[in-house]
Amino acid sequence: MPINNPRFVNAAWTRGCDGFTLDLQDSVPQSQKAYARTLVQDAIRNVAQGGGEVQVRINQAYIEADVAAAIWPGLSGLNMGHTLTSDQVRLMDACVSRVERERGLRPGTIEIDLSPDSVAGTVASEDLVDSSPRVKSFGGVGGYDYALSLGVEMFTGVDAFFYPRGLGSLIARAHHKSFPLSAQVADTSGSVSDADHAYAQAVATRKLGGRRGSGLHPNVVGPMTRGLTPPPEEVAEAERVLAFWRQLDAEGEAEGMLDGRPVDRYEAARAAELLEWAKACAEMDAYKERMVAETRAGLS
Amino acid sequence: MLPTSRLVRRSVLTVDGANQAAVASASRADPDAIVLDPPEDLAAMRVALPEALTAAKRGGAEVFVRIDKRRAHAQLKAAVRPGLDGIVLPDPESAADVARLERIVADREREEGLLEDSIEILPLLGTPRGIWNVREIVNATARIRCAAIDEVQLCRSLAIVPTGEFDVLSFSRGRVIVETLAAVKLPLGIGHPLAALPREADHDEVLGVADRARNSGFKGALCPFPGWIAACNQAFTPSDEQVEYYRAIRKAFAEGIARGTAAVPFPGGRMIDVPVDERARLVIDWWERCQRRDAEKAAARSTQGERTA
Repeated sequence: MPINNPRFVNAAWTRGCDGFTLDLQDSVPQSQKAYARTLVQDAIRNVAQGGGEVQVRINQAYIEADVAAAIWPGLSGLNMGHTLTSDQVRLMDACVSRVERERGLRPGTIEIDLSPDSVAGTVASEDLVDSSPRVKSFGGVGGYDYALSLGVEMFTGVDAFFYPRGLGSLIARAHHKSFPLSAQVADTSGSVSDADHAYAQAVATRKLGGRRGSGLHPNVVGPMTRGLTPPPEEVAEAERVLAFWRQLDAEGEAEGMLDGRPVDRYEAARAAELLEWAKACAEMDAYKERMVAETRAGLS
Repeated sequence: MLPTSRLVRRSVLTVDGANQAAVASASRADPDAIVLDPPEDLAAMRVALPEALTAAKRGGAEVFVRIDKRRAHAQLKAAVRPGLDGIVLPDPESAADVARLERIVADREREEGLLEDSIEILPLLGTPRGIWNVREIVNATARIRCAAIDEVQLCRSLAIVPTGEFDVLSFSRGRVIVETLAAVKLPLGIGHPLAALPREADHDEVLGVADRARNSGFKGALCPFPGWIAACNQAFTPSDEQVEYYRAIRKAFAEGIARGTAAVPFPGGRMIDVPVDERARLVIDWWERCQRRDAEKAAARSTQGERTA
């Protein structure tokens, strides 16, 4: 959300988000950049009341000023849109290290989320991916920035990001980074508040193994969170698979058939992973609920 | 501001350079560029090319000659002459392939008294190695201003029998598009299925395929048939509706900035920010360049008509 829009920022903690990105970049006009920096510390405290993680998206043109404005207790990471060179990332890393020290934050706390969201970023990916140990996730592309650099329309139903997404996922995995996997569900409306599309996208992403989504409108938060959370029937099925696998294992078998479906250690691992993810989602939901309740109680 | 190529090259028609009637017809079909495929025989090439070159330029098209890199020296001797805009280099696999050709081209420019670096090189990527090395190829020289993918040849190189049912070249196509655009040059291609299975097709079919090509990032297409040209020119030119839409975007964004916000709601539930406004600026600029290019070609045809009359 644009950090200079108090209506968005003040209501954010009530939205039920797992995370927030406070934007200093494209949604803030040039004339308000300096003013926007003065808002970051309060905005972090404000949105974090909802229990979600907080990230700030900075400008590649103002790395030092933006980093100094953004790093405060409660921040989990920085995002640099339009990342182009490893020198920019190294400068960002050095600035983060300095400000962490100055503000008494544990060194290395702040992660860097890179967005090589242009053709130039894709071409530079192999340099960028290891340019800082703070980079834990890499390679997500798509959206208006990438469409701009490809010179293509959004919302045509054509998957113009097939190559950069595929290359980005390979480079991320090859360098032991996570990749923000996102299923491609055709969007021909471009509406940022389309809850049905957000849900369909989230379900498809979860089924592919993805765990993250992002949006620009409060309408999509609930559907996206629901879609990325394993539903009760999948949790029950995963528990059944795992129980069957444990039984096989106890009998010294390496594989068996459950309702006509083969179950082996890979299936068991997948089921265990789903259960862990479901547990993490439930914990996050409970945490957010508690945080919102405490904040409301404090206000009343 | 995003660096982008200023070139307009929406339709590149390949024609048999020994067939004067075909060349004359090609020049009337309104392509942005024509590639003359020269006769195999060098002596025949020397005879055919000067006349073909003159005829091909009558409609205002840029004119290229396709050469065989194994016989590059002899063919360039015949091909590089006043009026020629560039050379098509099939199947380059490395920057060294381009450099070898460039040395000969530079020599020929001097011999012919042409401006230094005036002859363009258009790589036609048709092998797996060429696709993999596209970055070094497109960046090998400033003479390269666009790069094209030859899907017929690529299928042969990969031992793939193309079918309309399956698109197996998405990754290769994406690589050429991304690397060529990153080098601030134009990627050319029409994509699945017509690129790997070229055939005469009606306007609407070519338009549909070319629309998808544009929405994948291609900026123009190689046309093996004159019947494709109008559809490609149309598909790779922003429509009047698009221009109107993007003018409305620019207006709404400017109003948003004046109000102190760069995240501006737009009808239809869309949100405009900097990249959307920048895209709008580029589309309008691209449309204006297409209009200028069309006017140049119309003027060339008109001049030619007056001479004929």
